[in-house]
Amino acid sequence: MSVRPAAARTPEEEAYREAYGIILSSRVRLARNLRGVPFPDKASPEVRADVRRRVMEAAREELPVQETLSGSSMLHRQELFEDHLISRHLLEGRPEAAICMDAARTRAVMINEEDHLRIQTLRPGLSLREAWSDANALDDALEKKLDYAFSSSLGYLTSCPTNVGTGMRASTMMHLPGLVLMGEMEPIANGLAKIGLTVRGRWGEGTAALGHMFQVSNQLTLGMPEDRIVADLEEIAKEIAGHERNARERLKRERRLFVEDLAARALGILASAKLMTAQEALERLSELRLGIALDLAKGIEMQKVDHLLLEVQPAHLQAAIGKPLAGEERDLERASRLRGELGRRPVKRLGKRTE
Amino acid sequence: MLCQNCHQKEATVHLTQVVDGKTEKFHLCEECAAQKGIDIHAEPMDLGGMMEKLKDQLAHLKEEWVEPKAPAAGASVCPACGMTRTEILKKGRLGCDRCYEVFASEMLPVVVSLQHSDQHLGKVPKRSSDRMRNSVELARLRRELEKAVAGENYELAAKLRDQIRALPAEGGGS
Repeated sequence: MSVRPAAARTPEEEAYREAYGIILSSRVRLARNLRGVPFPDKASPEVRADVRRRVMEAAREELPVQETLSGSSMLHRQELFEDHLISRHLLEGRPEAAICMDAARTRAVMINEEDHLRIQTLRPGLSLREAWSDANALDDALEKKLDYAFSSSLGYLTSCPTNVGTGMRASTMMHLPGLVLMGEMEPIANGLAKIGLTVRGRWGEGTAALGHMFQVSNQLTLGMPEDRIVADLEEIAKEIAGHERNARERLKRERRLFVEDLAARALGILASAKLMTAQEALERLSELRLGIALDLAKGIEMQKVDHLLLEVQPAHLQAAIGKPLAGEERDLERASRLRGELGRRPVKRLGKRTE
Repeated sequence: MLCQNCHQKEATVHLTQVVDGKTEKFHLCEECAAQKGIDIHAEPMDLGGMMEKLKDQLAHLKEEWVEPKAPAAGASVCPACGMTRTEILKKGRLGCDRCYEVFASEMLPVVVSLQHSDQHLGKVPKRSSDRMRNSVELARLRRELEKAVAGENYELAAKLRDQIRALPAEGGGS
């Protein structure tokens, strides 16, 4: 561990950890389609282009930052993807797709994804109700100018029947290293599946959860009003956070040396490695984040780690440099940035500083 | 206690069954229980498992739809978007909003098995007709009424009944 004096935690750091230590963000997305228009997969290019034009026009006031994705570079799309603003589908390039955002990038609409519109809102920490309220208001604004496909029995009609009804997927992003390290994540994920919730790793396909980051979301979209879905998920998220807190306390009490070692090694690697893949960076940052939460890695702010979790991702890294980099160049650059942020002050005997 | 069936081994399986209002108790050894087809290792109700089973059933149904032995009910092509039944079942996606009506007889069971519901109770577009709005509102009130009655909250139930009556047309009020 860094031998810096154990600086007393500032009230800001305390508040940050309390608010975002386990639940990092809340997100709501609503699927909507235009009445009488084939869904994007079935529509002709002309029809999709018309949908795009109509939705962009309808969203102009609320979401003035608008981009048709066909014109943008892969790197730029990748950056939007890492920011969670576009889906993998749009990243890989869907015809006549577009993204409309507000300047803060917390409210957005994807056009011609699987559905004509995918409205999305993001809030920090546990604030699903607020995210729903944002999405609802945005939906109201769009609905003034667009005629949605809707049925009184099945609600908002979507391309896939798993989204029909409210069209709503609410989710919280959670950092759950305690549960993973205590071997309790799987039973919890299974239990959540039984009550209609889905747990997915934030990074990486399937259940492989890189960096102990998980997304917990509702699976059912029909038969419940939106505020119920959101309130239920919020309760469950609080409960999971309680389990995580408990698991972290037990880790510190029962396996203190193990976690201390884990966080110290993580910091050691982050602070001195010469090559660093995105995957390794996310894993080590997660372990360091746990150490910070347990007061076992002193002198580093959690917010800094959270910032780095985003910055080490390939497109953000390249955007920061301002040019595309090949694989190993990226790993070199990533390691250098991490050393700059987390490295110790230079020790004279060991020679010159790397920066 | 000895097994009621073989009267030899120790009874380790104790069951209470209610059939037609009559309560019957069984005390059996493991072997006799197994013979009678009682799965003593069965876990308490497992919702996840049930959903898995349902998924399997659904997959089975889907196969039947792809290759119907007899001409199936309903249309096989959506007149609005040209989507075929086979294509929907292959991709798991519908072609347009009309597909939900055209393929209702196939899609409704799919929706119900996926969503455990066939009635939207959420937001209604502001520009939709009053009739549509009322119909969702009515479904919501009816569901709340059921819950109130089940919970023996009769005061709330009466209030909900009044609200239902107050809804125009389908509410059933005069």
